[in-house]
Amino acid sequence: MDKAMIELLARRAGLEKTLAEFPDDVATAAEQAERAVARMKGPADPRAEPWPPMKAGAGR
Amino acid sequence: MTDLHWMTAGDAARAIAARELSPVELTKALLERIQQLDPQLNVFIRLDVEIAMAAARAAEQEIVAGRPRGPLHGVPVGIKDIIDVAGLPTTCHSKILIDNVAATDAVCVARLRGAGAIVLGKLSTHEFAIGGPSFDLPWPPARNPWNNAHHPGGSSSGSGSGVAAGLFPMALGSDTGGSVRNPASACGIVGLKPTYGLVSRRGVFPLSFTLDHVGPLTRTVTDNALMLEVIAGHDPLDPGSATAPAGDYQRALERGVRGLRIGFVRHFHQTDLPADPEVAAGLENVAGTLKSLGADVRDIQLPTLGEFAAVNRVILQSEAWAIHGPWLRERPGDYGKLARRRLLPGAFLGAGDYVQANRRRLEMIAAVDDGLREVDVLLCASAMDPPSRIEDAEETERTYPRQARTPFNVTGHPALAMMAGLSSRGLPLSVQFVGRNFAEATLFQVARAWEHAAGTDTRHPQIG
Repeated sequence: MDKAMIELLARRAGLEKTLAEFPDDVATAAEQAERAVARMKGPADPRAEPWPPMKAGAGR
Repeated sequence: MTDLHWMTAGDAARAIAARELSPVELTKALLERIQQLDPQLNVFIRLDVEIAMAAARAAEQEIVAGRPRGPLHGVPVGIKDIIDVAGLPTTCHSKILIDNVAATDAVCVARLRGAGAIVLGKLSTHEFAIGGPSFDLPWPPARNPWNNAHHPGGSSSGSGSGVAAGLFPMALGSDTGGSVRNPASACGIVGLKPTYGLVSRRGVFPLSFTLDHVGPLTRTVTDNALMLEVIAGHDPLDPGSATAPAGDYQRALERGVRGLRIGFVRHFHQTDLPADPEVAAGLENVAGTLKSLGADVRDIQLPTLGEFAAVNRVILQSEAWAIHGPWLRERPGDYGKLARRRLLPGAFLGAGDYVQANRRRLEMIAAVDDGLREVDVLLCASAMDPPSRIEDAEETERTYPRQARTPFNVTGHPALAMMAGLSSRGLPLSVQFVGRNFAEATLFQVARAWEHAAGTDTRHPQIG
């Protein structure tokens, strides 16, 4: 992720102050997030549901 | 009576009930040990001597009057400082919440007090149970009693260090990516992450709603089972609370492992994250010992640690961002550097990432359930390395993620970490046992068999 993209996403997340005071931490966080997503495999089955499923309760 | 500080919670409770030991005498002995050792261990954020002694005197009067409260009557306990204790600040080891005084006890604390336990105070943690060990916070990080140049594990650092050092026989911790089991591993004690939802999280500051668990840390397996019996149970006001009935967790403790099927997840420490040779040898020794005691030990395959870790990270960072976003926007300088860096990534994750992680999570739950249909209990590594040197940030950063605990936060299965032996440098090595949902009694059964065979419950650090 390049610097301009990081700054754009940080501002969109409301992190203007954080970006101004701790630009290295924001950049590191953006890289970590990118790495985490890249390492994650999607579900094998396109119909796979997320956890936990929506539940309507006991109906009382 | 000598060595009160190494007394187990169960033995202390029995001696108090039989009027052979006074809760005042026990609490006083532990407070003296805390005064002596805490300056080198930094276990406490807040030690409340007067309140603890008043509770001990009240406990004594109740015993004399024939009104014991429950199975932990008069036994001191330490509480991780992300868990509410009425009248005391819950700081989460952070400047952000430095004045955050709790109005009521967390449910787990109320249950301990209802059983007669005496709260000594609040224990150090990684900042918000994620940022540590850190030296830029209002309080220093806890240190390892086996060698105080080393990290005691985290994030329930004070809980692990204090139990291992004999400052109290039991403590509460929380576990989102291994934070009960890591200090149990690093400090050579017993730490349990129960089944998701078995212990109420109400009154515990969240890190990640769907990964957070509250669990006991003790020096013995029996004490761990005893403590779980007290804190487990449905809480209708915790939306994640399970309705499965809490059990009698001590019932199978002495049954041994003959006939039990144990699945050894060797690939975790052999190929996924190759372990330190002493750690690997320790695990083989545990497996061999259980086999010699009659267990059927066989290899078993699960998804890789890398897959589990990626899912855990996306879920944890997304949920933690939802909690910390407002403070990270307004008060970023009030966090320590590590917490700030570990909490900010959620700002860069999308809704789709979070949903994908939770879809993959369901598949991982099914994979572990499938494995546990073939065997009764899983055996695997907890930490891949002995505890790091606490002031060596690079070593800590390198070794901290080298662990096999997060899989079971992702899947919710109960997991217990305990001592597997000592390294050649005298630092604890660890093993982890994992069970079917709500089958904590079987976990304790296996853990107790190993403890009994290896004598891990009688090995204490030479301190004080």
